[in-house]
This record gives sequence, structure tokens and C-alpha cells, in this order.
Amino acid sequence: MTRQLRRIGASASKHLVLILLGCVFGLPLIWMVGTSFKTDGQALQLPVVWWPHPFLWSNYPQLFAALPIWRFFLNTFVYAAITIVGVLISSSLVAYGFSRLKWPGRDALFYVMLTTMILPFICTLIPLFVMYKRFGWIGSYLPLEVPTFFGSSVFSTFLLRQFFMTIPQSLSEAARIDGANEFFIYSRIILPLAKPALATVILFQFIYCWNDYLGPLIYISNQNSYPLSLGLDLILGDYTTNWAWVMAGATAATAPIVVLFFVTQRTFIQGIALTGTKG
Amino acid sequence: MLLTTQARMTSRAAVPALRSPGSRRLWLGLLFVSPWIIGFCGFYLYPFFATLYYSFTSFTGIGNPTFTGLANFDALVHDATFRTALFNTFYYTVIEVPFSTIAALGLAMLLNMNVRGQAFYRTLFYIPSIVPVVASSLIFVWIFQPSFGIVNALLADVHINGPAWFFSITWSKPTFILLGLWGMGQPMVIYLAALQGVPKEMYEVASLEGAGPWQRLRYVTIPMISPIILFNVILSLVLSIQYFTQAQVIESPPGSPGNSTMFYVTYYYQQAFQYLHLGYASAMAFLLFILVLIVTVVLLKTSSRWVYYENEER
Repeated sequence: MTRQLRRIGASASKHLVLILLGCVFGLPLIWMVGTSFKTDGQALQLPVVWWPHPFLWSNYPQLFAALPIWRFFLNTFVYAAITIVGVLISSSLVAYGFSRLKWPGRDALFYVMLTTMILPFICTLIPLFVMYKRFGWIGSYLPLEVPTFFGSSVFSTFLLRQFFMTIPQSLSEAARIDGANEFFIYSRIILPLAKPALATVILFQFIYCWNDYLGPLIYISNQNSYPLSLGLDLILGDYTTNWAWVMAGATAATAPIVVLFFVTQRTFIQGIALTGTKG
Repeated sequence: MLLTTQARMTSRAAVPALRSPGSRRLWLGLLFVSPWIIGFCGFYLYPFFATLYYSFTSFTGIGNPTFTGLANFDALVHDATFRTALFNTFYYTVIEVPFSTIAALGLAMLLNMNVRGQAFYRTLFYIPSIVPVVASSLIFVWIFQPSFGIVNALLADVHINGPAWFFSITWSKPTFILLGLWGMGQPMVIYLAALQGVPKEMYEVASLEGAGPWQRLRYVTIPMISPIILFNVILSLVLSIQYFTQAQVIESPPGSPGNSTMFYVTYYYQQAFQYLHLGYASAMAFLLFILVLIVTVVLLKTSSRWVYYENEER
């Protein structure tokens, strides 16, 4: 009897901690969505109005009319799409070379690649900027897109390599005995088997671009070319006191990612586990 | 001799015949990784050494850099704002990294204890970490807004006069740390996956030998997941040393109030892209590299004392 009570007590206290923390973690998001449907006056009202009343939809169309938000969305999508192509091609090739082939110096070179992950970005920024300026790339997305075709996404390469390692070598050997060349094995055997890992790479690259603020901040200056991240920053600068609009912008930027997360939840969690746990 | 026997064994390798299979394998391997090799040389190696060179020059981006020896480093040592920036980044890092590591680990362990609704909680804690960084910055400016923000409104309910948070010299950095902690769902999910990989039998054996919950944590759980802890700590250290985006979005002008949010990269950005002190900024970049290198090497060297690798021979 007392043991049962203790078990219930322990379970209840676990849930109490989780629910309390859950509220703390959820509150900012609820508050963001709530504010985006309030009138401007209600957003600033004290004591706090927990749920918008009246429920106001018009902040969204007004914000989308005041700033070219659709344009920002489009720019972000194009940026993401191009870099996804770059990462898929280059990272899968490089990952293949680092996992499915045995050659002298392979592992040493692989560690060199991993160490570039801890190199602070500012250690290469100025010469790159000077170089891109000479190429006439400043103001365009090229400085952010071109490197992805040359394996700049070490994270994706690492993730794919980890996945390729789990595919039995006997598959490749059988194909080699049948006379298949290495590129055939890469494109017709390994890549089709790696679809889940490739999906993870696409997903993470998309989120990376959606999130990227620093890259566009440095290279993009024309407002028409802004991605969503810089566009959002603009809302805060231009409509600082209109919190309903600022939160409408934040909600519009967050909602697609959260929806994407729910749709692709399994790919997400698997991908994190793949890179995080098998060092 | 070796060549002929191997050539007899694999008829395909015998076709080019002139090259040994070993060098053929090498060229094939290099061919596959060549996109990265080109990228590494063009986007890492060259700019890295160019940064090193610029750090000994005076350079505005126009014309050629002029060599000035150690002048930039000498100026950095005497630059009070640089010292502040170094301190601010240090402050953020030494508080945020341990706190988020312990909190993420603790939460992962809690979720790993057969909690009903584990998937729900996992999702709830993970979502803040995928909110776009500019959006989460805007959310935090709003909830911590001094006069109309919900945090100060709730504090007022319990008769506490809330500070100005992002706009207070004392509270600005702690508020950024809170914003960082909100995004700890990412490491939490990684730790949870790692915990689920610890074999159940190990806990059973430990319990049979009389280990209590604390001993199981100390002698089973922590050693088993220590490589993942190390990996995550290094990653989050390197990231927080380069802390920039949130401060840039939230504070206007960046670094305010009173330089209290002037982080290392914030100051670098100002020197490089506002004042075009490219040589000076390059010297800062190079010092940061040394700093990151020292931190990483120290962590890796000391890690042999607390990190346990399963398949390592003793």
C-alpha cells in the first residue's frame, strides 16, 4: 500500500516538474501567437489580456501589405533550393569517398574536414569578402550558394558518411565483381539506399537557410533581395512599437518550420540521433 | 611481384596494368572527395592564411594592405572595448554552456524514466530550438519588454519591480543566457537518444550489486554517454564563443546598453564592416582562433580522464 503510494507520488512529482517546465517553454510561443491577433492597444494593456478579444486577423494582411513579406519568403525558398542541390551533390560524393572507399590518408583527411567545423567563421570572413567583391558577387546570394557545391556543409557530409558506413560493404563488393564502376555503385546502389539520410540532409539544409541571418546580413544589402530573417529584423526596426505586427511577423516565420517539424518528425529525430550519438 | 599476383586476382585492375591497385584506389578516393578539397583550399585554407597575413597589416579593403608588424596586436592589448568584448563573451560562455548542458542532460534523464507522454514532452521542449533565431529574438524582446512585457507584468503581480532586462547593463547578459537556455531542446534530444542506447542489462547488473540511483548515474549513465557529452560541450562552446546574431537583432545600437552586450564577434563586426579596420579585425579573428584552439585542445586532452570509449583497449 505505502509502496504504491510512493510510486504514485514519484510519478506525480515527475509530471509536476515536466508540466511546470513545459509551461515555461511553451509560454513564449503562446504569447507570440496571442499577441499577433490582438489590437495594438490590447497588446500593451495591463493587467495582461491572456487571449485576444476581439480576435483580430487583420494584423497579418496589413503587415504583408506594408512590407514585401511574400518576396522575403520567395527569396528564402530560392536560397534554400539552390543550396540543397549543392549540398546533395557535393556532400554525398565526398561522404562516399570518406566511407565506401579505402585509400591511404583517407581518415587523416576526414579529421581535417571535421576540424574545419570548429574554425570560427570570422577567421576566413574578410579575405572571402574581398575575394567575392573582386568576383562581383556582393549583393547576390552567390557567396552563400557556391561554397555548398564544394562540400562546405561539413555537417551534411558527416551525417551522410555516418549513414553510408552502416550499409554492408558486401553490396559494393558484389557489384564490383559484376564489373560495375564506382560511380555506378554510388549513384545506383548507395544513393537509393540512403534516401532517409538524404531526406534528413534536405530538411536540415532547409532549416539552416530559413534560419540564416549572418550570411545574408554580410552579403545582401538590397531590401528586395532580403530573406525572411533580415525581413523580420526590418519589422522590429520599422514598427518597433507595434508589437502585434512584430509578433505577426515572428509567427509567420515560425509557423512553416513548426508545421514542417510535425510532418517530418521521424526524419528529424533520426537525423539528430545519427549525427549526435555515433561519434 | 605483388603487382603480378594482384593483377592476376582482379582482372579489372590488370587493364590499366601500369598503375598499382593501391594508387588507383588513392586516385579514386581523391576524385570523390575532390569537391571538398577544392572548397577546402578556396574557402578555408587560403582565406585563413590571408587573415593571418592581414592581421599584420593596415588594410581598408581598397588598394593593397600595408605591413605594420605587430601594431594591431599591440593596439588590441590596449583597447578597453576589446577587453570588454572578451569579458562579455567569456561571461556568456562560462554560464550558458554548463547551465544548458546540465539542464539538457537532466531533462533528458527525466524523460528517459518511463514517463507517460514522453513523445509529447520531447516535442514541447524541442520546438523552441527550431524557432528561427530572429523570431526567437523578437519573442524575447517582447516578453521581456520593460513596461509592457509579460514577464514584468507577472512579476508585478507578486509585487516585484522587474528590471529592464535587455536594456539594463546588469541584466542584459543574463537575459541573453535565458534566451539561449530556451533553445536547449536540441542537445536534450541528442542526450535522450544516447540514454536510450545504454544497454538495460548494465543497470540490472549495477542494481544487483547494490548500486543506488546516484551510483548508477555516476558509474553507468555518465560514463556510457560521456563521448556524446564531450562532443556536445565542444560544439556549444565553439558556438557561444562566436555569439552574435541574437545580440545584433535585439540591441540597437549593437553592444548597448553601455557596451554590456558588446560580444567578441559584435566588436569584430563593427571594426570590420562599419569602420573598415580590416587589419585590426583580422588580428581579432586570429586571436579568436588561438582561443578556440586552446579551449578545444584542453578539453580533448583532459577528456581522457572522464570520457569512456566502449571499444577502447585498456
